[in-house]
Amino acid sequence: MRSDNDMTDPVCNAQAAPPRSRSVVRAMIWATVPVLLVVQLLASAGVEVSSFWSQIRQLDERTARTAESRAELIAEPLWKMRYDQVTSVLNEILHDETIAAVAVYDDTGVAIARVVARPSDQAVSEVSRPIEYRNGNIAVEAGRIVIAYSYATIYAHTGSRLLLLLVVGLLATLATVVAMRISANIFIGKPLAAIMSAIQRSKQDGRAYPAEVRSSNEFGQLAHAFNAMQHTTSGALDRLGHMASHDPLTGLPNRRSLSERLVTLSRDAGSPDSLIAFCFIDLDDFKGINDTFGHDAGDKFLVHISERLREAVEPEDWVARLGGDEFVVIRPEVSNAATAQAFARQLLDAISEPIRLHDKQVVPRASIGLAVRRAGDPELSHLPALADIALYHAKSKAPGTVAVLDEALQRDYRRRRDLELAISAGFAEGQFEVWYQSQVDLESHRVVGLEALIRWRHPEHGVISPGEFLPLIERSGNNARLTRYVLTDACRALQRLAAAGKPQIRIAINLPPSELADHSFAAELHATCARLGVAASSLELEITEGSLINNIACASETLHRLRRLGATIALDDFGTGYSSLAHLRRFPLDKVKIDKAFISEIPDSGEDKAIVGVIASLAGTLGLTLVAEGIERAEQARAVREMGVRLGQGFLYQQPQPLEAVLKWLEAAPSSSVLADSPSIAPEFAA
Amino acid sequence: MTGLLRVLLVVGMACGVLLPCGGAVAADAKRLNIVFVSPGKSGEVYWDMVAQAMQAAGRKLDAHVEVLTSERNYRTMQELGLGVLARVDKPDFLILSNEESAAVTVLEAAEAAGVKTLLLSNTLIGDDAARLGPPRRTLKTWLGDITTDLQTAGARMANALIDAARAGKWQSPDGKIHILGIGGDEITPASIARNAGLKLAVQAAPDVVVDRMLFANWTQSEAEQLTANYLSWASRKGIRPAGIWAGNDPMALGAINAAATAGLAPGQDIQVVGLNWSEDALRAIGANRLLLTDGGHFLLGGWSIVLLRDYADGCDFAAASPHVEVKTSEITRTNLASVGDLIRTRAFDRIDFAGFRAKAGRCGHYDFSIDALISSLAPLEGAAD
Repeated sequence: MRSDNDMTDPVCNAQAAPPRSRSVVRAMIWATVPVLLVVQLLASAGVEVSSFWSQIRQLDERTARTAESRAELIAEPLWKMRYDQVTSVLNEILHDETIAAVAVYDDTGVAIARVVARPSDQAVSEVSRPIEYRNGNIAVEAGRIVIAYSYATIYAHTGSRLLLLLVVGLLATLATVVAMRISANIFIGKPLAAIMSAIQRSKQDGRAYPAEVRSSNEFGQLAHAFNAMQHTTSGALDRLGHMASHDPLTGLPNRRSLSERLVTLSRDAGSPDSLIAFCFIDLDDFKGINDTFGHDAGDKFLVHISERLREAVEPEDWVARLGGDEFVVIRPEVSNAATAQAFARQLLDAISEPIRLHDKQVVPRASIGLAVRRAGDPELSHLPALADIALYHAKSKAPGTVAVLDEALQRDYRRRRDLELAISAGFAEGQFEVWYQSQVDLESHRVVGLEALIRWRHPEHGVISPGEFLPLIERSGNNARLTRYVLTDACRALQRLAAAGKPQIRIAINLPPSELADHSFAAELHATCARLGVAASSLELEITEGSLINNIACASETLHRLRRLGATIALDDFGTGYSSLAHLRRFPLDKVKIDKAFISEIPDSGEDKAIVGVIASLAGTLGLTLVAEGIERAEQARAVREMGVRLGQGFLYQQPQPLEAVLKWLEAAPSSSVLADSPSIAPEFAA
Repeated sequence: MTGLLRVLLVVGMACGVLLPCGGAVAADAKRLNIVFVSPGKSGEVYWDMVAQAMQAAGRKLDAHVEVLTSERNYRTMQELGLGVLARVDKPDFLILSNEESAAVTVLEAAEAAGVKTLLLSNTLIGDDAARLGPPRRTLKTWLGDITTDLQTAGARMANALIDAARAGKWQSPDGKIHILGIGGDEITPASIARNAGLKLAVQAAPDVVVDRMLFANWTQSEAEQLTANYLSWASRKGIRPAGIWAGNDPMALGAINAAATAGLAPGQDIQVVGLNWSEDALRAIGANRLLLTDGGHFLLGGWSIVLLRDYADGCDFAAASPHVEVKTSEITRTNLASVGDLIRTRAFDRIDFAGFRAKAGRCGHYDFSIDALISSLAPLEGAAD
């Protein structure tokens, strides 16, 4: 089951596990405190070391002075060999705690007095001074005094000072850290946290939350600016969000909303067994509205439709416009399929109310594909596709109705999908075959032409009728390929006919509307004919009225080019489509093929006879050759011939057959009346 | 207290024993009353001997000699002297010793009291001498002084040492005769004179060197220590010590002990001289450890009584000089036998002091030599008998 959170996963993840970053406060502390500590310690240590050396120097000097002064004191006792006095003088020196030992050497170098204060295993220095004795008569060097003294006191003092400095330094640093933390928290951390918190909350639900910062410093200004930006951004985001999920024209939720809606459908349902009705609505011939009244009117039309849908549904229902003329209505809870169907019809009814466009009454028509599924259905997210299957069915089979998705439709859908996928293989493996049906001169009963009809011999599904696979070919964009395939085959057939001594027999191929719109088709036809050595005048191109209507200018251009090449143009299925007599005049037509719907009841139906008669009269006036399609009985042929129809086509003469069979058939009855002697194996393509 | 008792005892003895004798000797003359304030201590050999010689002379020359001992305390000395002058029955003469210049006050008081004074052994020096001038000028009652010529004594001692060293060829490798001098102190005239004698003698002998002049405070133990130090030093210096000159006998004996301790044989390897005629010194001379002891200046006690007797009898010693300087004499193994016993027994009554008095018309002229002394000696009682 998906949820909103899942939808916003990347964002959520970014929130939940942001890259592990150190706070600015910490970074500041880490950047400054070690430097502070090191500088402080180094400075203290430097001062202390300098003091240490100064003390060492002072001690050296003091000891030297002591040695000199004692040397003076000792000179006389030493000279006068009062060694006990010398010793007592030395003993006095020992009051100085830095002095470890003192020795006095006489002029022979022998220590005559030595006092040791304390045994010292530490480094000791020595200072030595001569002892000079003078009296009125003599001045001699009586000996030397040597003082051994220790720096231990200075070391200990310096050590304890350094320790003290270290402790003081650490305490100072600690105090600094605490002060920095506190102040940084107050001045930086809190405002940042407030702003961050506002950002996090905004990210969670997209709404604007102000950062609660009261101070007037830079952070206060930042927060103020942030709040202002939040306000601006959130409005824009709201609008963007709405625009992203809504159709700007009708204000209805759009396709993206549908995706989100589908996600929440099952969650919002009361129970897994609740039935959800999904109506896929497609307006019929909305293009005609656009073409007829212009796009502004088309938009207005769509707005009307959306309003009607809104009015027709209950509050719990959900209406969306997917784009173009497609709408979706979801009823989250229906009691059964029949209720859903009734609801869909209700929608159709609502849509079908007439609308005024440019002071003209237009009656909208729509088809609905309805799919009903349980809320617990795991394929709930496929509802649009399923409904689309039903809609396809409705559109193709019964426009303006509701088609309910059932097993058969799904089967059809799967078959259609299979065939669509097999089209490429069909071309590659030569599964498409071109059969031919003859057109006969109703007077002379001679074969004047053949109509090329496409067949698909599918390895699994057998021979598939054009009515089934042509829409698939068109939808899959293979129309041009098929047309060229047929054209090439037809040209080869013309070669065969010429070879068989019947060069007068021409071949007609059906030209789909898309090819009519393609300017290059005429050139291609010319090239193909030239390549295969066939005269373009041996070809006839059959078009339908629909293809003329859809793109009048292009169609006219293409038709003129084809005519210039020598090909003739036949208007197929005349009388069934948007038949407009104006077309007969506007386009360069050579033939008109009367739809078999008008032929089948002849001669019994007087109405049909009247219609055919009118058509024949019109054709005669316009100089068009008439072809009656679907002639199955001789009296039909006779009746239409009497009404002025010159050519006929139908089972009475020949069913569509592969070329070989047609050639044999032509061989057998070269110039007489031909009657159908083989059963129909497939519905006629050109019906 | 004991000091006082001793004084009384001595005085008593002198009176009791000597009165009849003195009276018999000089019946024609007035009996003299003489008080001697001794600076020394009871039992101090020199001053005891001075007092004893004084008293012996008194007995011979009809003079009553009262000896007061100041116990080496010069304040006491002054008090004693002033006490005598304050007496109702004042003595005829007061004999003082100007040690530490302590006698000056008493001299001046005596002038006021009209008591005649004689300085013994130590006379006025320095400022006092300059201020008061010669005897009998400023201080009319100060008759004069009697001292010993200790400088000559010091020189004689030194020469004896030098002679002995030369005789024994005790030169050091440097060819010189090395001598140690041990003085008593560096400030008293008595010490300075002796030391000057040594210096004079050595200056006259170019082959002699005094390595050190050490001062042992007149005591044996200090001298012994200093000598030991010297000998040790000398051995390190490669010096062959030839002799030790000591300012008095105790120091000489200390030096002898130290030399012996150092492995020398005093009297054979090294010669030692002393001064004072002390009994221990005489024994050391007898034992051939001490070369000689100069001295006999304790006899100043007796000679002072001779001077006063003559003065009282009208033969003033100042006719020659108010300063009477007495030469000392040496006792060696040669004359030890003659005077040794006198000293040992302190039988000063054997000396005929009357025989030393100035001859008529030669007032102030005295022969206090050792030869005169020896010839004046009465035979020992045992021998006489």
